[in-house]
Amino acid sequence: MTSTLKILGALALICIAMAGCGDGGGSRDPAASNQKVYRHSMDQAPVSVDPTQAATVYSNFVVLNVYDTLYAYKYLARPYELTTNLATGFPKISDDGLSYVISLKPGVHFIDDPSFPDGIGREVVASDFVYSLKRHFDATTLSQAAWVWQGRIVGLDEWKEAGSDYDSEISGLRALDAHTIQITLSKPYPQLVHTLTMGFSALVPREAVEHYGREFSIHPVGSGPFKMERFDTARATLIRNPRFRAESVDLAALGFDPALHAGLGLEAIEGRTPPFVDRVDVNFVTEDAARWNSFSKGSEIQFAKIPTEQFDTVLSSKTPPTLKKELENRYNMVDFVEPGVIFNTFNMDFDEFGYHPDPAQAERNTALRCAVIKAFDWEQRSERFYNGIAKIYPGIIPPAVPEMDSGMSRDSVTRDVEGAKQLLADHGWNADNLPELVYGVAASVKQRQLFEQFRGFLTEIGYPSEKIVLEQFATFGDISKAWKQSKLPFVSKGWNLDYPDAENVLQLFYGPNGSPGSNDANFADPEYDRLYEQSAVMQEGPERTAIYRRMNEILVDSCVAIMGLSRTNLLMWHENVIGYPDRNIVGGFWLRYVDLREE
Amino acid sequence: MSGAVEIAATTERRSRGSLWSKAVYKLSRDRFGMVGLAVVGIYLIVALGVWFGVWGQGWSDVTGPMWAAPSDEYRFGTNVIGQDIFERAIYSTKVAFEVGLVVAVLSTVIGAILGALAGYFSGTWIDEIVLWLKGVLDSIPFYLFVAALAFALQGFAYSMHVAMIATFWTTTGRLVRGEVIKLRGFEFVEAARALGVPELTIIFRHIIPNTFHILLVQATIVFVAAIKSEVILSFLGLGVKDGVSWGLMIAESTQEVLAGQFNNFIWASVFLFGLVMAFNLFSDALQDALDPRSVT
Repeated sequence: MTSTLKILGALALICIAMAGCGDGGGSRDPAASNQKVYRHSMDQAPVSVDPTQAATVYSNFVVLNVYDTLYAYKYLARPYELTTNLATGFPKISDDGLSYVISLKPGVHFIDDPSFPDGIGREVVASDFVYSLKRHFDATTLSQAAWVWQGRIVGLDEWKEAGSDYDSEISGLRALDAHTIQITLSKPYPQLVHTLTMGFSALVPREAVEHYGREFSIHPVGSGPFKMERFDTARATLIRNPRFRAESVDLAALGFDPALHAGLGLEAIEGRTPPFVDRVDVNFVTEDAARWNSFSKGSEIQFAKIPTEQFDTVLSSKTPPTLKKELENRYNMVDFVEPGVIFNTFNMDFDEFGYHPDPAQAERNTALRCAVIKAFDWEQRSERFYNGIAKIYPGIIPPAVPEMDSGMSRDSVTRDVEGAKQLLADHGWNADNLPELVYGVAASVKQRQLFEQFRGFLTEIGYPSEKIVLEQFATFGDISKAWKQSKLPFVSKGWNLDYPDAENVLQLFYGPNGSPGSNDANFADPEYDRLYEQSAVMQEGPERTAIYRRMNEILVDSCVAIMGLSRTNLLMWHENVIGYPDRNIVGGFWLRYVDLREE
Repeated sequence: MSGAVEIAATTERRSRGSLWSKAVYKLSRDRFGMVGLAVVGIYLIVALGVWFGVWGQGWSDVTGPMWAAPSDEYRFGTNVIGQDIFERAIYSTKVAFEVGLVVAVLSTVIGAILGALAGYFSGTWIDEIVLWLKGVLDSIPFYLFVAALAFALQGFAYSMHVAMIATFWTTTGRLVRGEVIKLRGFEFVEAARALGVPELTIIFRHIIPNTFHILLVQATIVFVAAIKSEVILSFLGLGVKDGVSWGLMIAESTQEVLAGQFNNFIWASVFLFGLVMAFNLFSDALQDALDPRSVT
């Protein structure tokens, strides 16, 4: 009898233990609670989700989902088009282009949070926008975005110099009433509305910033479609904001095009109110192979960028990119040319390649740069590193913006080894007097291979191999610092557009932006600078486009850089996910429209 | 009868020979050791050929097709940027020998000197300092030390060599110290001291030569360790700065194998395995041959 009781007792314990395990598993398993969970992936983790630190695509992605911005880009429209978000309409702009009046939607609330009285989120008001922009000019915030509005809004820079007192008013940045903002510019800034789509401009409540202090960077309190439940280096878990404003989807207004978006199931969200999923897990997986394995396993992440090594495994054709038959029913795929440019530029501060006080030597240097450009084989670069499906074009203006000039001569992107040799010989360059070219890379296998390919191109025109020297930097931050300090004669980099306007790439060669600014080339051409200043205050139109194109020609003619290429990105997501997951320009804004098909 | 006399005479000659001649004899009788030596010799010839520009000079050319299969033109195929894997593999032999020799020679010399000083002056402040230095260096994890040194010596092409030399001398130093403590009590040292020979002369002229059998074996062990470490460090991005090595080839292959391209991985591994295996066989045989307990 005693032994029977013992056995029964042991069985009961086992049952309890198993039931306990079962419960735990069930609570973690979203399917068990009928929650809709979308599992996204990104290749890096954001360090902070404070809007003042949203300088990376990773941080911007999360910020745009937990906070609100005044404007956004249309979810599906390509080329990218602006639309309203927290603003009721586009700004009322004065005739001189200096005054912007923007109205906010009433009845929008921050999430419930202990930083508010009684823990109930209050209404979002115009003064929150004023406060949020002021934070970028508070030295204690260490904002990465002050450059966006620096020298442009009346009184903002002076407010910073006076000590950043949040209670003092700024004449150029005012809340006229609870739902009306007025921005007064010191000079026209046609890109202002674009800057109000960026995570940097997201609205934060002062109470939460003061309540959380430094922890605000990992404890977001916004009015976006999601609120953050968990955030660490492995994952950000976002859950639906139950108080998010009810606005039904109008697909046509979001840029839906049946010809382009057919088969993605987007029609299913028409007329419904986002967000559509209960939870989003944004997994940060740095290794391509690990991310791909998780994606292709089927039960883990539901979105991934296709690693270049997997193209042959996944695609039946590269031009146009087409999924293999057996994968068509399991995955959706989209391909697009990234809104950015990859280019290599000479640093004109180095007199062995760039500007030289002796006009004759300056001319020889120009010939040397032109010869290097002729030696560069963009087709091979695309074939070997970007699967041969990248877009190659002359100049710095990428195809993602309407100002790109498709009629421009392609001589600067066409390899001409004999022409390069002739140019060197005509200007007295030979193996003995060619200068040493230091090529910096952030330590990685791919960067080293890019260097070796570049060196191979130059040796074919007679440039001695030992004069093309590799300098390795431990991290991207280190090499970036070297560029900013003008320590390298040659800069190899990529630039992602912050907004769809060619000005964003043309400013990379504007003289006053020289080191430590964004002009790593330290290019200083009087005509170019004059045209840049002229176009910087012009609204979009044919006249401005003509100026942009002329500036592009100046860059090509002066042989300042080897340019350019835009990669074609291939994104895949599981067939049961309804969405169009392009994070370029749009950022993470599209996440509110993601839905899952019923299994 | 005459045969027995000859064997007896040979045995007598052998027993009367020096430790070195006995070791050479014993080494020559070790088949695995001799095969190892022959393979190392072949690698050395390959490395010398690269040094003198006879072959392996096209390792950086990017004129080949992407991922070409092995053929008459490209014996081991090509990598993603069209470089000839055969050329790169044999050029890497020179890099391996350079690293191995530099590290083995310098760490052995440093280990011999510091070990001999510590052993001869055992129990004094000199011994204390050397032991403290050795203890400190041994307590730092090797790869962490290399990474720290690479960061500290940013841009210096030989930071990997410096790190290896700084850490590899300690084992040699410990063995030499022990041997010297034993030797300093021998009569020939006593005699030299009695004759008024300066202490440094005693150490460098009379004692260190008697530790050569340890140094030789240690040098071969360090040589192999240096080559293996170079491969690992280059794979991690802490090794060879400019040029090519088997470690860099294997690092390149991490992306290529995902695309089904294995030539870089296979050939770099084969070359590395061949040299390390051969050197290990040779090193083992040398160790056996120079072991005073077995050389009689």
